[in-house]
Order: sequence, then C-alpha cells, then structure tokens
Amino acid sequence: MKVSGRSWFQGFGVLFLLIFASAAISAPARGPQQIPVQRRQVKIAIDNFILTDQSGKPFEFKHLNGKVVVAAFAYTTCPDVCPLITAAMRQVQINLSEAEKKRVQLITVTTDPEIDVPKVLAGYAKRYGAELDSWSFLTGDETTLKKVWKNFGVGVKRKARGLVDHTPLTAVVDQRGVLRFAYIGASPDKNLVLNDVRSLLAGR
Amino acid sequence: MDALYAQRCFNCHGPSGRGDGPIAASLPVQPPDFRDTVQRKSNPQIKRLITAGKAVMPAFEPALSPSEINDMLQMVRFLSREGRDISWWENFDALVAAHCSIPWEVVLGYDEPTEEKQP
Repeated sequence: MKVSGRSWFQGFGVLFLLIFASAAISAPARGPQQIPVQRRQVKIAIDNFILTDQSGKPFEFKHLNGKVVVAAFAYTTCPDVCPLITAAMRQVQINLSEAEKKRVQLITVTTDPEIDVPKVLAGYAKRYGAELDSWSFLTGDETTLKKVWKNFGVGVKRKARGLVDHTPLTAVVDQRGVLRFAYIGASPDKNLVLNDVRSLLAGR
Repeated sequence: MDALYAQRCFNCHGPSGRGDGPIAASLPVQPPDFRDTVQRKSNPQIKRLITAGKAVMPAFEPALSPSEINDMLQMVRFLSREGRDISWWENFDALVAAHCSIPWEVVLGYDEPTEEKQP
C-alpha cells in the first residue's frame, strides 16, 4: 500500500493525540506529582445535570448559575493524583475571602460511584476539612455521571474495586455555565486557579 | 499482599513505609514513618486507620474486603520492622513461588528417580 507523505503526517498527528490522551487518562502508578499541570483556556458549555451531594440531597448544576464553579474529578480511595487534587481544592477554598465564597462554588465529582456513596463522600469531605457551604461532593448513577464526565472531557476507566484511572482534571466554569479553564495534572497551582477565578468574578 | 501495598499505599508511604513515596512531598501532611507509628499501635488501631482513613489518607472500607484489609495490616507490620522494604517482600514472594512449584519429593530428596541399572 502506498502512503503519501501528507497522509503519513496526518496519521502521525492522530497517533500523537491518541498517545497524549491515553497518557492524560491514565495516571501512572508511581510518580504522578511529576506530571506537569497543563492549563488550557477553552469554551465548552456544560449541560445541566442532577447529582446527589454528600448529605444525600439532589444537587442541580443550573442552580449555580451566576456563580463561578471550580470543579474537580476525583474518587475517595484514589492512591495517587486525587489526594493532591483535593488538597489543592482545599487550598483554593482557604484562600477565597468570605465575600468571594458567596460567589464561588467548589464541586468534586466522583469518578467511582460504586464506592463513593454520599456517606463515603461525607467522610472524605470531613477528612479534608472542606467547608460545605461552598463545596459539594457529588455522586450519582453511572449513566448521569458518564454524561458529566464526557461533557467535561474526563476519561474514566475502572481497574478494580476502588481503583480507577481517570483524567486528573480541575476546571473553572464561568457564571453562565461555560467551562473556561482546564488544569490537567495532579497539583494545580492554587494561585493560578485563584487568578482565573478572580478574573471571571471581575467580569474579564 | 505486596501488590495491594504497591497499588494502594506505595505512592505516599514509600517502599519501606518511611513516608517517602513519590507523592509524599506534595501532600499537605507528611505521611508517618511506620517504624515510629505502627510499632506503637495495636492491630485494632491500625485496622481502624486503614478502614476509616485519616486526613488525606483514604478510607479503604468499603472498597477493600476484610481479608484485604488484614493483608494490608500484615504488610505495614512487616514494613515497620527495621531494614524491611517492599522489594525484600517481592523477593520473598518469588522464593516461595519458586519453592512451591518444585515437587516436594525433590525438595526433600525423597523418591529421586532411580537410575536404570545397567545389565
């Protein structure tokens, strides 16, 4: 089969993207802190969804309209990237002023609904000292979660009970429900996230 | 048992349980050295930590079965002894597997194949 130079180049490009995407989905077993966090500016409309929060109450995304949302994807028994992602989220929350906390909502969406029922998420939130007025930990049925993961661009692959590979995403969504900043990696810099949140709060 | 430790604990607690895993330095709380903590705690206390978690340490119940949690407990006890690390355990595992695959008759030297007597 004859392959032209152009199609070879395109094929190489697709292959590169596939390798890049699979590397992002699969957090390596050892040394995830070594993955540099990538910040990307995007414009992806987030569809409304209804999940369940850590207290077992329904949580509807559209009710956050008018607030800046910092969303992270993690699961409670994660042994690599999630402790770093959730610790970074806590740092973001700690560094928001009381006035800002009224205009910003943090959400952590589970990537392992099999284990992360509301009671488990409540324990997780408590261990991280999360202030639940402005931070919700969400779970739900797998069908709904799959749509949410896909909408945010998060790949999820179950490896074993309580062990899941997933894209290590933290994202900032603007007041109109549009995903604007995506940080892919284990420890997003809290100052970078706070700057992006504040630029949206300032209407920039 | 070592696979369980490698999957669930290694990143924070490190190869010898000294709290020097690959992500330990990035955590907001430094993981403890098993030689200090595990040595001082009873089995029920350690089991409670594994099942319920603490600070950034995950709660492994209900994800892991009671027997897996017991295995984890044995592993951290093993690592809490001076000079032990996961690679030692991995070698030990291979040794056991190698010996178990050899027929016991050969190991003990019994029933060695008799050489055919030359006429």
